[in-house]
Amino acid sequence: MKTDDLIEALARETEPAKPQPWRMKLALTVLTGLVVAGLLVAIGLGVRADIGVARMPVMMKALFSALAAAVVLPMAVQLMKPGRPLGWRIGAALIFAGVSLLAAFIALMGEMPEHRWEAWMGGRGGVPWCVVLIPILAAPTAVLLTWLMRSFAPTRITLAGAAIGAISGGVGAMAYAMYCPTDSVAFVTTWYTVAIAVCAALGAFIGSKFLRW
Amino acid sequence: MADEAQLRALMLKGLAGDAAAHRAFLTEAAGMLRGYFRNRLRTRPEDAEDLVQETLVALHTRRDSYDPNYPLTAWLYAIARYRLIDFLRRAKHRSHASLDGIDVRDDDPVYEASDARRDVATLLEKLPEKQRTAIRLVKLEERSVREAAESTGLSESDIKISIHRGLKTLMRLMAEEQAT
Repeated sequence: MKTDDLIEALARETEPAKPQPWRMKLALTVLTGLVVAGLLVAIGLGVRADIGVARMPVMMKALFSALAAAVVLPMAVQLMKPGRPLGWRIGAALIFAGVSLLAAFIALMGEMPEHRWEAWMGGRGGVPWCVVLIPILAAPTAVLLTWLMRSFAPTRITLAGAAIGAISGGVGAMAYAMYCPTDSVAFVTTWYTVAIAVCAALGAFIGSKFLRW
Repeated sequence: MADEAQLRALMLKGLAGDAAAHRAFLTEAAGMLRGYFRNRLRTRPEDAEDLVQETLVALHTRRDSYDPNYPLTAWLYAIARYRLIDFLRRAKHRSHASLDGIDVRDDDPVYEASDARRDVATLLEKLPEKQRTAIRLVKLEERSVREAAESTGLSESDIKISIHRGLKTLMRLMAEEQAT
């Protein structure tokens, strides 16, 4: 078929294009992911027993996670459609990560030297399990966001995948906060950030495969 | 060749449902794409024309992804670049030798239209029957959506959806068949 004939065929019976209501879809997607992750925590890990008295630190951790997701969101929105510049949006995400790690450092310096390791690793002999558990809790959101992203036209798919991963990581971390027994500032700002970065890396890899169109 | 403002005006009219403007937009876009792909696949002009056609279908099926707040040419070339990267990735997957002669330059000379190597019409055969029939009736046999709906017994919106899905599938088939 000649290109001119193809154009003729494509342009025949042109309908008005319907703009996609992306805000609503995005909000519903993230909300669904959060609810599913919350259920996974409640069923699989169990909400921490002292949630009644620990409401404040749980809220703070959830807020930190929500903020992490929120700073990446503008980037993901730009990446849904071709040819929209990213500008400050990558910077916002990187600055957030930098500030988090700086906060971890400052918080650690505020601890007595003999308590630093404990505060950083979450207790004596502690292992920051959140680096494994947050990506697992991020998975439902990531699947839904990938599906949503595919209905648009991402042209920088690795970056779009990374953004999806980071948002999902933030959402997963919000749910994880209900379980997470460690409240030290240095622990949260370090390991939650690392966990979300792991999600972004996994997302970049998955995006380059599954966001193709 | 049309500039950004003219092209954008055609695109916006096309998005509003003006078929003539949409045709004019696709025609201009084809010229720009031809320059872009030929320049980057200099030893393989047939591949370039395949990519022109594939990208035209992409521009058409994803036209609702154009955000009027940003330049149209940025949108167009972002899609073209993505189709090229996808093509190169696929070509690399199959054989390394076929990547010889690919060169990136900044100036884009203008070329004439020509035939593509593969035939889109034969690819239509691979689509599910409903999509194939809808595309054949409306896009190739030049019947209206209403006539197509009457002759198939499907609803008009069913025909429109089948065409849209079919064209998206077609673009994927075009990409898959390429780079062989």
